[in-house]
This record gives sequence, C-alpha cells and structure tokens, in this order.
Amino acid sequence: MAEYAHPEVLVDTAWVAEHLNDPNVRIIESNEDILLYDQGHIPGAIKIDWVADLNDQVVRDYLDREHFEQLLSAKGISNDTTVVFYGDKNNWWATYALWVFKLYGHKDARIMNGGRAKWIAEGQDLTKQVPSDAASSYKAPERDDSTIRAFRDEVREHIKKSGVALVDVRSPQEFSGERTHMAEYPQEGTLRGGHIPTAASIPWAKAVKEDSTFKSPEDLKELYSSQGVTPDKDVIAYCRIGERSSHTWFVLTYLLGYPQVRNYDGSWTEWGNSVGLPIEKSYQG
Amino acid sequence: MDRQEAIEFLLDHYQNPRNNGPLDPVDVTMPGGNPGCGDIVTIYLKVNDAGDQIERVTFEGTGCTISQAAASILTEMVEGRPLAEIDDMDFNDMIDQLGREVVSTRPRCATLALGTLKAAITLYRNNKIRAELDASQTGV
Repeated sequence: MAEYAHPEVLVDTAWVAEHLNDPNVRIIESNEDILLYDQGHIPGAIKIDWVADLNDQVVRDYLDREHFEQLLSAKGISNDTTVVFYGDKNNWWATYALWVFKLYGHKDARIMNGGRAKWIAEGQDLTKQVPSDAASSYKAPERDDSTIRAFRDEVREHIKKSGVALVDVRSPQEFSGERTHMAEYPQEGTLRGGHIPTAASIPWAKAVKEDSTFKSPEDLKELYSSQGVTPDKDVIAYCRIGERSSHTWFVLTYLLGYPQVRNYDGSWTEWGNSVGLPIEKSYQG
Repeated sequence: MDRQEAIEFLLDHYQNPRNNGPLDPVDVTMPGGNPGCGDIVTIYLKVNDAGDQIERVTFEGTGCTISQAAASILTEMVEGRPLAEIDDMDFNDMIDQLGREVVSTRPRCATLALGTLKAAITLYRNNKIRAELDASQTGV
C-alpha cells in the first residue's frame, strides 16, 4: 500500500497519548467552535484561537512577526518544539493554524489524524484543566508569504496560464453560485456568487473518511488527479476565507507531496466582492 | 458576569436549549446561517393578534456552541417583547448579553439568531402589508 508523501507530519491518537508528557511536544487545539476546548480537551493541550490569536485585529491579514513571537513564547513553544494540531470539523481549523505556523517557517508542525472527534470516539481522556507552562523565547523569521500563500493579483494571472491548477474547495452550491450566504445574515456573504474561472470543484471534506481521518494516498490521488489537479502543476486552492482551502493545501502538500501548492486566503470573500474580477456562474436561479 | 460564568452560561444553554423546536401555529419560519461554516439557525415566530408583540419564538439549528446557545438565550430574552424593541436591539447588545469577553471573536455566531429574528419580523410585517393590500383590492 502506498504511503503518504510526508508521513511524519501526520500522527495518530495513540502517538499523542504516548507523548502527553513529552516536554518537546506541544499539543494545540484549534477549533471553529471556540467553546469546545472549555468543554474538555486533550490533557496538556493548549488552545489557539485562529481569530483572536492568529489574525491581525485591524487589517485583514495574519499576525506580524512580533506578535507571532509573543504568542508562541507565551504558549511555551520553542523553535524546536514539535507542535501537534488537532481540532473539530475534520481538523479544518487545525490545518489553518498549521498553515499560519508554516508561514513563519516553524520546523516541526503536525496534525493528529482524526482530530477531536476521533479522540473522543475512542473514549480517550479529556480534561478541563488549562496547563500553565513557563514562557519560552521564540524567535521567528519575517513571515514568508511567497511560497504557500497566494494573493488576488497572483490568482488573476494564474488563471491565464496553461499547465496550472485552481481548486475550489467549497460546497457545490457555493461553486455554482446558487448560494453565497443565508438570507439576512448580518455582515456575511458576498455580492456575487459563482467561482473563479478554470477552478475545479473538489469540496475539501472529500479528503476525509467518516471518522475524520484522511483518506488513503490512492484515494486522494484519484480525487485530485481525476480533475486535472496533478503534482506537475502550480496549484492554488481557495474557499471563502482560506480556512477550508488550508485543509486541501495540507493534503496536497504533505499527504500527496505536491511541490507547489498555495492557499489563496482572500478567497471568495475577496473575489466575489471585488469590482471587475471574472466570475463563472453555472446556477440559473 | 466574569469569563468563567459567561462560559458556563453559554454551555448551559447549549446543552439544555430553551424553546427548541418548531412552532405550530406559526406566523413566520425564517432560516438563517452560513452553510459554509456550518452554523444554521431557524427561527419560528408567532406574533400577537395586535401584531406588535412577540407571542412566542422558538428555534432549531446546528452549529457551534455560541451560535446555538445564543439562539436559546435570545428566545428567552424576547418572548412577550414589543417588535419595536427587537428593531432597536443592536448586535452589540447581544454580544454583551452573551458575555463580550467570551464571544467577541465570534460576532457572526453570537448575532446569527438575532439577525435571523430581525429578518423574521421584517417578513412578518411585509406579509401583513401584502395581505392588507390584497384585502383592499378585493374589496374594490
């Protein structure tokens, strides 16, 4: 049976259980539902809230280097700490946090396969106790947006080229333009529905099984290559704000070993609200 | 309410939701939410005969703790209240009611139910106007 391209980036629940007291490992819970951690978490795990901790609070961007250093130092994470992310929704927000850590080049960042759901399904221990580890002294380089992050104008050029791939990981209804948001939702949605021209529709959750673990290398390869998303191409993935597409970025980069994958975090909330950008819409309603 | 009290307040409403389920008879059934992120709240609204006060409101939904707890809390807050009062409810008021320190990073989740309720009230009024117009045209 084929192996994942980078199996070392994926750990299972048994590995986490064996390393709960490993001083070189920090287990980090990153959820969409921020009150899940308070209801119970893996013993020793700390919480990172992608909104409060990883986002700039004024500009739509991620935290700068100084704040990244402060955050990791406060959490007791050192440059050589092995950080293991897990969370709800099939590790959707865990991969988002990992992606931000990789913008700063953190060396050893992994995902616990199956996430919070699998840990709980196995009847593993949960605790409400919040660890109080000593602060560390984390040193980060300047954030590197060039390798794994794509911006709007880069995407605009990308779709004009041949030999590249664009993956829309949203639901089919969002891809077709049938749905941008639910009616009357405050501060939500986009002015236009549809997708970026040339995008292949491969919903992010198709990469996981019912128990929230990732599908096999063979299944993942078939899922993406059948739609022209192959390792020889420069690939960009997007969704609404880049969180679902970070999951796909993780799959393509680490599980399938694609050498050139970027996450367009502006995603549909930027593209669908921008003046003059091309849109394809298949929904006629 | 300190942070821990706010968390416990929200968890109580999440685990023991009040006014949870459809309503019959109902004046308006209004869906709200962000299917992309998974938070869905449907508000069921019954207005009094005078048309100016909430007689009963319930909800159903799926999603994160904050969005579902907020819906439960909202239904307790607004029952029997004038519609005009709901019009004046600011989303910041809702965030304060839930515990700003806990929910401030999730304003969409915290205000989903209130936004959906406001939409339900708007639809109720529009339906009433249409019904009155139809009645007046029929009478001509």
